[in-house]
Amino acid sequence: MVGSLVMARFAVSVFGRDRPGIVAAVTRVLADAGCNLEDTSMTILRGHFAMMLVVTGPAAVDAADLAARLDPVGGRLDLQVSVRPVTDEVTAAAGGQGARYVAAVYGADRPGLVASVSEALAAHQVNIVDLQTRVVGEPDPVYAMHFDLEVPAGCADQVAADLRAVAEALGVQASFEPDEADVL
Amino acid sequence: MAVRPVLRLPATALKVAAKPVGTVDDAALDLAADLVDTMRAYDHCVGLAAPQLGVGLRAFCMDVSGHPKARSCAGLVVLFDPEVVAAGPAALAREGCMSVPDLTGNVARPATVAVRGTTPDGGERLVEADAIEARALLHELDHLDGLLFLDRVVSADHLFRRRRYR
Repeated sequence: MVGSLVMARFAVSVFGRDRPGIVAAVTRVLADAGCNLEDTSMTILRGHFAMMLVVTGPAAVDAADLAARLDPVGGRLDLQVSVRPVTDEVTAAAGGQGARYVAAVYGADRPGLVASVSEALAAHQVNIVDLQTRVVGEPDPVYAMHFDLEVPAGCADQVAADLRAVAEALGVQASFEPDEADVL
Repeated sequence: MAVRPVLRLPATALKVAAKPVGTVDDAALDLAADLVDTMRAYDHCVGLAAPQLGVGLRAFCMDVSGHPKARSCAGLVVLFDPEVVAAGPAALAREGCMSVPDLTGNVARPATVAVRGTTPDGGERLVEADAIEARALLHELDHLDGLLFLDRVVSADHLFRRRRYR
């Protein structure tokens, strides 16, 4: 966050058919409104561009102001835009509990894959830090998921066993590996 | 000799290519001692390069002794003017850096490497390394060229680089 004035924090989400200039147009409006981008995630999902941003702005700005400022850009680029205030006090580096693992699960596409796998993780209070999924290929589509996880101490072996069991029941492949970074 | 502060981003000194040490003099020996003292002062720190102390000279130290991912282990390595003389195929692993706290990233680096440089006693040393030791060597050599792991990080969705939109 820049400056010491009281700031308001917002969650801004933007979604629309991908084309060049979306990030430039949206972030220019936010910058001109005095907003500062904090953590963001922006990517293409199946040909659509999805932006999720946490931003801070001057206390005088409210969510309706920001939405109104973004409205012309949303109309011009055919984007769905939403702005809502974020009031939860969380630290910049949220989480940090438990050990870092990565999991990859992939196989023939079928409904409920993500639900079944993530239920097995949630049963152990495993926190999904990042999840990317893609469905590729025809006529037999393959579904691939990549998880970044925080696993509570002492339960990694059981999580691994449960993931294997869920994967076997679903007829898909699963891997689960520690992913601690080396500070060099 | 002393433990010295480790520069952190956005310190611009981290992004400047360092100059050769050349002849090893007292100042170079002092720098080497400070590098080792500072590295030893931090748990989990297995290497440190002179630019991280704000010194624009081609010097680094490294020690992976006892690291759980270590295979090769040359013990304490302190080299001036190091250069890569051989490198194997790349492997991907997640790295962090004392100078970039709170961020980590997946970086592809040669899984085996041979590095040659000048030792503090003025001799020449060749270090052949693999696993975490190879990665640490290459990470430290990058610092001497003003490169951070952020300059080499692979996208978080590297597993899904092949895109097929219809």
